[in-house]
Amino acid sequence: MSGPDLAARFLENAAAAAAGAHSVSGTGDLLAALGRIVPTGSPVYCPGLTELEKAAAPLFPNRVADCAAAEVTVEEVFGAIAETGTLVCVSEGGRAVQAGLLPAHHVAIVRRDRIFATLDGLLAVVAAVPPTNVTLVTGPSRTADIELTLAIGVHGPERLDVIVVQPGVTFPYARP
Amino acid sequence: MSDAQTSLSFRSNAVQAIGNAQLRAAMRHATDTFGAKRADAFAPVADVEAMRDRASAIREEVLNNLPRYVDQFVASATRAGATVHRAKDAAVAREIIRKLLADRGARRIVKGKSMVSEEVDLNAHLEASGMEVVETDLGEYIIQLERETPSHIIVPAIHKNRQQVGKLFSERLGVPYSDDPQVLTRIARQVLREKFLSADAGISGANFAAADTGSLVLFTNEGNGRMVTTVPPLHVAILSIEKMIPSLADFPDFIRLLPRSATGQTMTSYVSVITGPRKPGDATGAKELHIVLLDNGRTEILGGESRDILKCIRCGACMNVCPVYRTVGGHAYGWTYPGPMGLILTTLLTGMAKSHPVVDASTLCGACVDVCPVRVPLVDIILQLRHRKVREGFSDPKEKAGMALFGKAAASPALFALGQRLAGWFWPVVRVLGGKDVAGRMPAPAKTPFHRKAP
Amino acid sequence: MRAQLFGTCLVDSFFPEVGEATVKLLRRFGVTVTFPKGQTCCGQPAYNAGYQAEARSAAGHFLSVFRGEDPIVTPSGSCAAMVKHHYPALFRDDPKMRAAAENAAGRVFELSQFLVQVLRAHEKGFPGKGKVTYHSSCHLTRSLGVREEPLLLLRSLRGAEFVPLPDGIRCCGFGGMFMAKLPEISCALAEERADSVVATGADTVTGCDAGCLMNISDAMKKRGSPVRVAHLASLLAEGI
Repeated sequence: MSGPDLAARFLENAAAAAAGAHSVSGTGDLLAALGRIVPTGSPVYCPGLTELEKAAAPLFPNRVADCAAAEVTVEEVFGAIAETGTLVCVSEGGRAVQAGLLPAHHVAIVRRDRIFATLDGLLAVVAAVPPTNVTLVTGPSRTADIELTLAIGVHGPERLDVIVVQPGVTFPYARP
Repeated sequence: MSDAQTSLSFRSNAVQAIGNAQLRAAMRHATDTFGAKRADAFAPVADVEAMRDRASAIREEVLNNLPRYVDQFVASATRAGATVHRAKDAAVAREIIRKLLADRGARRIVKGKSMVSEEVDLNAHLEASGMEVVETDLGEYIIQLERETPSHIIVPAIHKNRQQVGKLFSERLGVPYSDDPQVLTRIARQVLREKFLSADAGISGANFAAADTGSLVLFTNEGNGRMVTTVPPLHVAILSIEKMIPSLADFPDFIRLLPRSATGQTMTSYVSVITGPRKPGDATGAKELHIVLLDNGRTEILGGESRDILKCIRCGACMNVCPVYRTVGGHAYGWTYPGPMGLILTTLLTGMAKSHPVVDASTLCGACVDVCPVRVPLVDIILQLRHRKVREGFSDPKEKAGMALFGKAAASPALFALGQRLAGWFWPVVRVLGGKDVAGRMPAPAKTPFHRKAP
Repeated sequence: MRAQLFGTCLVDSFFPEVGEATVKLLRRFGVTVTFPKGQTCCGQPAYNAGYQAEARSAAGHFLSVFRGEDPIVTPSGSCAAMVKHHYPALFRDDPKMRAAAENAAGRVFELSQFLVQVLRAHEKGFPGKGKVTYHSSCHLTRSLGVREEPLLLLRSLRGAEFVPLPDGIRCCGFGGMFMAKLPEISCALAEERADSVVATGADTVTGCDAGCLMNISDAMKKRGSPVRVAHLASLLAEGI
């Protein structure tokens, strides 16, 4: 499957799991999307570790250091799986996977070339020496424990937005 | 909270359940919904049968070499920094966990859903030593507040309707009454968030364990499983030994089969792969990870004729299609596990003497066999258990005598014909003896049996 | 062609008209029907309740009565399944009996299976009338894999309208000894099946197993329903 097809399939399946699904190309596009998705002034946790996170961070005047105090987490994730519309969050490199768990709103950025076609593809990569935590995230948190009626937003995020960033464009750091 | 096992009164439990209109309605709704959702989820999947065959083969491979996979898991989990404990039985498991919590001064424990922890009656043991144990899965939280036991292995509060939950929350939590599931869920989120963040320890189960890497794999939807396993400084996981899968690379088929079989979802919201506690450089993970591997009779089952029940991956699909479960709900079975897989495990784990009536809780219709993702031969195993029930002397004496007579009559045409004649002549008496429940539901025998009119 | 008829204990004792209808049907399609004398019961009630010794006694007698190579035809999905799937295992430790069991298992047919697969009866069709619905028994469908054959026969009833039950394959609650050991659950399931039958608006419900039909009939009687409960053999044989 081609890159654009993988991205399209991933976004389609993510949307089917009640995630907001967005596709952007370039920093400007990404920042514009974030401006639409993240309410102005919300306390945001953005790790600022990757190029894309560094580009996004200045958008948020109200950044918090502890994700437990945030209403929104904006972060780049390890990858995604097209087959199931799933994000892959890993603890490697000192990443706090719970950043995508505690706040009510999780905004996950993933590069198109980090989208695996299938579960097999992803597991082949992490199976040998898995990091402490690998979490596959498909949609916001949910339950059907009461009368099998779906309720979105239980202990994890109530809202999940995924943003696929198309390659081929450089991402200079935003001005500090 | 766990009550004593009531499997011996299965029939009267069932009668009570049948008379409970709200329970009947809840069970019909639940089983109809699950049945349809599962079918819809599998419909677009191209090679379901091949997938089931592969998953079944992997589970068989594990059972054929279980001690080796368990040893491998212990070694690799230990290498990853976890402390692994082997618990021979329920009492040992409870005490291992209580002690390691008490030694660290843990008072508030948050808990993810774990059927095995119900099996060993863990909560009561911890609470008896003064610890606060808070169930965080919404369904488990509901039944904990209600002081009940789960009635389904995936959806523990399936027997409750929204009004009952609304009333429960308003009475026990002091919130204004609402029966809107979204509102009730939000209340639970608020109440439990505070518990997660202040807990000394988290206890979870695990859906599977990968033997080669020592990883625990959890399938959850609410996020409480993720909280419980990463937020408190101490994570204790309890799982039974047959949950092993050889390698993480074997998981795709199970990831495709389990959510669809259980809830009709393509994926659960979260699949967590946890390998050891937090390591230097990590910002995620409990500081300490203790893994308790429970035997509690499984090694013995493994050596017996019904060992294939250990292939079960706890999806709940079998109970969702079972006509008996649908009619009587989960509590009637009297122990932790209900429905087809439940009556088998109950009998094998708690013994025939305490369980034998549930062995009859099946019409042998085979609906369960149709849906089991790993092809556990459920009907065959139930037949084995019934044969054991007879051999071990737990049959009803009248039934035993009747069957002995049947055996003779079936092999003797003269005796068979005599029986037919007597039944025909004394049908009103047979009806009285056989009760309106049985003979009363049958027509009177024909005046002339077919064999006298046949060619 | 010749065929051996296994009437079954339920048909023999309670529903001889089903046996007569079966003979009529088979003869209609050119089959010479023999009725091996001394036949009794396939042993299923004992087997399903865990009484393997008693089941073996019944099965052994069955095998001594049904010898030879002719197909064995029976108007019962559960009895055919018993012979086909459980007889060989019952005699696993007795090579001579096991061979006899495998022989019988290899030539046993449920009636609709035989009518369609061997006699192609559905291609000829039958006269029929009214609105008919069909209860598919569990052993017939899941054990024997007979799903299409009864439907083909029902659709070949000229003049009758076939309407399927809305909720598909569902257990009626008979379950052999189950109806005697857990009658409350058995009745509850029969009631649900009866609800389903009534919802179709059919005037007749049919099926291939007398036990199921007996259980459903009881539920229909309890609610005073005029819906007729008739074995497929009777329905097909009526018009000819």
